Amino acid sequence: MNTIPLTHILFVSTALFFIGMYGLFTRRNIITMLMSIELILNSVNINFIAFNKYLHPANLDGVFFTIFIIAIAAAEAAVAIAIIINLYRNHKSIDIEDAAEMKY
Amino acid sequence: MNAIILSAILGVIMMFSGIWVNNKATLRWIALAGLLVLLISNIAEMYGYRIWNVNVHNMLYFDRFGLLFNSVAIGSTFIFVALSGSDINRVGKYAAEYYTLIFFVLTGITIISVYTSLLMLFLGIEIMSIPLYILTGSDKRNLKSNEASLKYFLMGAFSTGLMLMGITLIYGATGSFSIEVLNNPAIAQGVSFLEITGMLFLLVSMAFKVSAAPFHFWTPDVYDGAPGVFTSFMATVVKAAAFIAFVKLFDARMSYSSAVVDWKMLLCILIIATLLIGNITAVFQQSVKRMLAYSSIAQAGFMLFAVFSMNEMAKEGIIFYAVSYSLATIGVFAVLLKMKDFTFEGYNGLAKSQPVLAFANTVFLLSLAGIPLTAGFFAKYFMLASVIQTGHYLWMVIVAVLFAAVSVYYYFRVIQAMYFKTGEGETENIHPGFKTGLIILTVIIILLGVAPNLIINFLYF
Amino acid sequence: MNLIYLVPLFPLLGFLINGLFRKSLSKSLIGIIGSGAILASFIVSIILFNDVRTNGSMIVSYFNLLDIEAFKIPFAFQIDQLSVIFLLIITGIGFLIHVYSTAYMNDETNEHFGRYFSYLNLFVFSMLLLVMGANYVIMFIGWEGVGLCSYLLIGFWFKNNTYNYAAKKAFVMNRIGDLGFLLAVFWILAKLGTVNYGEVFASTVKFSASDITGITLLLFVGACGKSAQIPLYTWLPDAMAGPTPVSALIHAATMVTAGIYMIARSNVLYTMAPFTQTVVAIIGLATALFAATIALKQNDIKKVLAYSTVSQLGYMFLGLGAGAYTGAVFHVMTHAFFKALLFLGAGSVIHAMHHEQDIRNMGGLKKHLPITHISFLLACLAISGVPPFSGFFSKDEILAAAYLKNPIFYYLGAIGALMTAFYMFRLYALTFLGKFRGTEEQHHHLHESPSAMTIPLIVLAILSVVGGFIGIPEIFAPDAHMLEKFLHPIFAQSDSIKELHHLDRSTEWMMMGGVSVLIIVVIIIAWRKYSRTEQFVASHGIARTLENKWYVDELYDNVIVRPVTGLGSVLKNVVEKAGIDGAVNGVGRFVHYSSRQLRLLQSGQVGNYILFMVLSIVVLFLVFWNQPQIAHFLEKIF
Repeated sequence: MNTIPLTHILFVSTALFFIGMYGLFTRRNIITMLMSIELILNSVNINFIAFNKYLHPANLDGVFFTIFIIAIAAAEAAVAIAIIINLYRNHKSIDIEDAAEMKY
Repeated sequence: MNAIILSAILGVIMMFSGIWVNNKATLRWIALAGLLVLLISNIAEMYGYRIWNVNVHNMLYFDRFGLLFNSVAIGSTFIFVALSGSDINRVGKYAAEYYTLIFFVLTGITIISVYTSLLMLFLGIEIMSIPLYILTGSDKRNLKSNEASLKYFLMGAFSTGLMLMGITLIYGATGSFSIEVLNNPAIAQGVSFLEITGMLFLLVSMAFKVSAAPFHFWTPDVYDGAPGVFTSFMATVVKAAAFIAFVKLFDARMSYSSAVVDWKMLLCILIIATLLIGNITAVFQQSVKRMLAYSSIAQAGFMLFAVFSMNEMAKEGIIFYAVSYSLATIGVFAVLLKMKDFTFEGYNGLAKSQPVLAFANTVFLLSLAGIPLTAGFFAKYFMLASVIQTGHYLWMVIVAVLFAAVSVYYYFRVIQAMYFKTGEGETENIHPGFKTGLIILTVIIILLGVAPNLIINFLYF
Repeated sequence: MNLIYLVPLFPLLGFLINGLFRKSLSKSLIGIIGSGAILASFIVSIILFNDVRTNGSMIVSYFNLLDIEAFKIPFAFQIDQLSVIFLLIITGIGFLIHVYSTAYMNDETNEHFGRYFSYLNLFVFSMLLLVMGANYVIMFIGWEGVGLCSYLLIGFWFKNNTYNYAAKKAFVMNRIGDLGFLLAVFWILAKLGTVNYGEVFASTVKFSASDITGITLLLFVGACGKSAQIPLYTWLPDAMAGPTPVSALIHAATMVTAGIYMIARSNVLYTMAPFTQTVVAIIGLATALFAATIALKQNDIKKVLAYSTVSQLGYMFLGLGAGAYTGAVFHVMTHAFFKALLFLGAGSVIHAMHHEQDIRNMGGLKKHLPITHISFLLACLAISGVPPFSGFFSKDEILAAAYLKNPIFYYLGAIGALMTAFYMFRLYALTFLGKFRGTEEQHHHLHESPSAMTIPLIVLAILSVVGGFIGIPEIFAPDAHMLEKFLHPIFAQSDSIKELHHLDRSTEWMMMGGVSVLIIVVIIIAWRKYSRTEQFVASHGIARTLENKWYVDELYDNVIVRPVTGLGSVLKNVVEKAGIDGAVNGVGRFVHYSSRQLRLLQSGQVGNYILFMVLSIVVLFLVFWNQPQIAHFLEKIF
C-alpha cells in the first residue's frame, strides 16, 4: 500500500478538484453542476485521507473530518435538490441560462 | 456552550410549535421569548454560568470576544424579529419553519464565534449557510427568489469546496486543525509553502462569505432576490458573524506567517476592489433593494480594514461596526419592507405621508454613510484609526474616505426622494408598535453616535 | 476687583433680553432694560475708577482663548487709568444716549424698538471689550464687534436701499483697516510670542527698527479705517443714514475713538517709531483740514457734524503724532461731550422739524426750541475752542504739541480751528437764528422735545462747559492738570524714551491768545453773515467742489469699486462656471459613467461568476508568489 507515492494521490485529488471546478463554470445543466460540486467535495476527502495516512499516521483527525464532510455534503445535496425542484416547478427548465433574470 | 445547544433546542421547539399553534402572531411571540432566553443564557455564560459542561477537546474556546459577539448577534436578531416579525409571517404559509431556520442559523453563528479548530469553523459555516439557502428561496412563487437561492447554493458550495481544500493543505502541512498558534507542535519548523497556500484558499473562502470583491458576485443577486426580511437578516447578522470568524482566523496565524507572506498586500487588493465595486456600482442602481445589496458590499470593504490591521483597536472596532451596521441596516430594511415600490421613485414624498418613517430612515441612512452624530461615524472612525495605528498603507485611508464620499451620493438619493420630491410614498399597513420600534432604534443609533463609550467600555478582551 | 466682569456683562444681558424678547416686551420695559444695563455698567465703572485711583491698574484673567505650545492668548481684562477713563466715557455718554433714544425712537414698533436697543447694547458691550481687553486679541474682538454693530445700526431702517448701501460701505472700509490691524497683531505675535500689553511693552527691545515702524504703520492703517482718516473716511458721512442717537454714540463719541485708544494704548511702540509718528501727524492734519473745507459747504445738518467729527478726529491724531498722548485722550473726552451734544441737539431739531434735515429750510428755531438752542450754542462754543469751555483746553494742548513738532503743523492746525469755528457757527446761525424758512406745516409742528431728550442735552451741556477744567495747563495754574497726573503711569514708559518738551511761557501765551482772538472774530463774522441769509444760490467753482466733497466718492468708485466688481464677474462667469463647476460636475459624471460600465460585470450567469472568482484566485496567487518584486516595484513608484 505504502509504495504509491503521496504525490500520485495528490495529483489525482487535485485533478478531480479542478475538473469539478471546470464543470461548475462551464456546464449549463444544473444537475451537472451539482455533480461537479460533489466532485470537488470528494476530491477534498481523498486529500484528507491521503495526508492522514501518509504524513500524520499517529492520529485519526483526517478520517474524522472526512466523515463530517460526507455527512454535510449529503445534507447539502438534499437541500440542493429541493431548491432545483422548486426552480423547475416555476421555470420548467433546468438550464442555468434561464435562471439569469437578475443582472447588472 | 449554552447558546449553541440552546439555540438548536429552541429551533426544534419552534418547529414543533408550528404544529400545535396556528396563529402566526403567537409564533412570533414564542420566537421572541426564545431569543430572550438565548440572550440571557449567553450573558450568563459570559459570567461563568454554564448549563451544560461538555468536553470540547479544545475545539471551542469561549473567550470574551466571542461571547460578546454572540450577545450582539442574538440581540440584533431579537430586534430584527421584533421589528420585522410581521413581515416574516407574510412570506409564506409555514411561518414556524422560518423561525426555526433562523434559530439554526444562530446555532451556526454561535459556533463560528468561538471556534479554535478548523473543523468547527467548517461545521459552523455549513450550519449557518444551509438554512440560509432555504430561507433565500422561501418565497416559492417568486422567480427571483428561486433563482437567488440557486445561485447562493451553487456559489456557497463552491466556496465550501475551496475552504475544505484550504483546510486540507493546512492539515497536510501542520497535522492539526487548531488555529491556535501556541498549541501547534509544528511551529518550530516554520511556515511551509503548503500551509501558506492553504491559508490563501481559506482567505478566499472567507472573503466569499463576507462578500469582499472579487468574490462578491453572489451578493447583489441573492440580496435582491431573497424576500426582504431575510435579506435584512443575511446582510446584518450573518455578515457580521462571518467577519468575526475571519478576524479570529487571521488573528493568530497572520502575525506569525507574515514573515513569509505580506498578507497586508493581498488584503489591500481585496479592500480596494471591494470599495471600488461596491460603491461605484451602487451609484447607478434603480432599485433601493439592489442598491442596499451593493452598499453592504461597500460596508464589508470597510469592515475588512479590521482584518487588515489586526490590532486592539481593530477588534473593538469590528464589534462596534457590527453593532452599528446591523442596527442601521435592520432599520433600513424594516422601512424598505413596508414600501409598496422598491425603486427610488417609490420613496417619493414619504416625508409627507409617513414622517416618522422618513425621519427614522434618514437617521439610518446617515449612520450608514458615516455622518457624525450617528453610530456609523464612530464605526468608520475606529476602522480608519486602526489602519493608521499600523503605520503601513496609509494611503488606503484616503481612498476609503473618497469612496465613503461616493457612498453619500446613493444614500442621500433616498433621503432626497423622501423629502424633496413629491409623490405618494405608499406603504403597507403600519402598526404603531412598528413606529415605536423604529424610534427606539433611532435613539440607540444617535446615542451610540454621541457617546460610543457606552459600548466601548464593554469591549475589553 | 471682581466686579470687573460686571461691566460688560450688563450690556450683554441687555442685548440678549431685548433681542430675544423684543416682540413680547413693552416699549417702556425695553427702554428701561436697555438704559438700565448701561447705567449699571456706569455705576460699576465709577467704583472701578475709584479703585484705580487708589490702587492702580489691575489685570483679571478668565480663561485661555487659545492655548497651544507656541503661545497662549488669555481672555483677560486690564483696568488701568486709560481704560477706566474710556469706560466712564462710554458708559456715561452711552447711558445718556440710551435715555435720549427712548424718546427719539418712540415712533417705531415694539419689535424694531427692541431690535434697536439690543443692537445698541451689543455695541456698548463690544466697545467695552475693546477698551477693557488686556491684549490685542481681545481688543480685536471688540474692534470687530463695534464694526458689526455699526453696520447693523447704520442700516437700521433696512427697507431703504441707500441706507443699506451706506452700511455696507462702512463695514467694507472698516474691514480694509482691520486687515492692517490684523497684520500688525500677527507681526507682534510672531516676533514676541505674546500679545498681552504688559509683556509686549516690556520686551520692545526684541523689535528691530523696521519691525516697530512696520507694526505701528499697520496699526495706524487699522485706526484709519475705524476712526475715519484719509483715505478711509468716506463712510462716516454716509453713516449719517442711521438714527441720530446712533450717530451720536457710535460715530462721534465712542467707536470712532477706538483708533485713538489703540494708539494711546500702544504709545510705547509709537514713541519708538518717529517716522510713523510723523506720518500719523501729517495724515491727521490733512484730514482735519480736508474735512473742514468740505464742512464749510454742506447743507445737511448731520453731514456738517459728520465732517466736523472727521476733522476733530484728525486733530486727535495730530496730537498723537506729535507725542501729546494725554492731549489726544483729553480731546477724545471733551469731543465726546460736545459732539454727542451737537448730534443729540441736531436730533432734537430733526425731531421737531419732522425729519427735515436740510438747514436751508430751517432758521429762527431759537424761539421754539429754547433748551436745544442753548445747549447747541454752548456746544458750538466748546468745539470752536472758545475759552473757558472744554474744547479750548484740549485743542490748545494739541496745538502746542504740534508747534513743538513742527511750527507749520501749528499754523495749519490753527487755520483748521478757524474753519471749525466758521462752519459750526454757520450751522448754528442758519438753524437757530434769523427767520424760519420752512413750510407752514413744519412751522405749525415746531415744539420743544420731551424731557427724555432734553435732560441728556442739559447734562452734556454742563459737561461741555466745565469738562475742560480737569486739564488746566501749566501756565494757568501749576500742577493742575489732573488728567495728565492721572494718566501718567500709562505714558511713563514713553516719556522715559523721549522727553516731552514744553514751550516757554511767553510763546504759549501768545499762541493761545492769538488763536482765541481770531476764533472769536471768525465767530462774529459767521454769526452776522448767516443770521441774515434769506436765500441760497447754487454754488459753482470751488464752492461746488466743496459741496460735492471734492468728488472723492466718485474717484473711489471708478478707480476701485468698478474694477473689483468687474474682476468678480469675470471670475464668476469664466472661472467658476467653466473651471470649478466643470471639474466638480465632471467628477460626478465620471462616477456615473463608470458605474454604468462597471455594473455590466454582474452578468447574471453563475458560470461567469465562478469563472471570475477562479481568475481572481489565480491573480491573488500570482501576487503572493511574486510579492517581493511587486513591493519593490511599488516602492519605486511612490
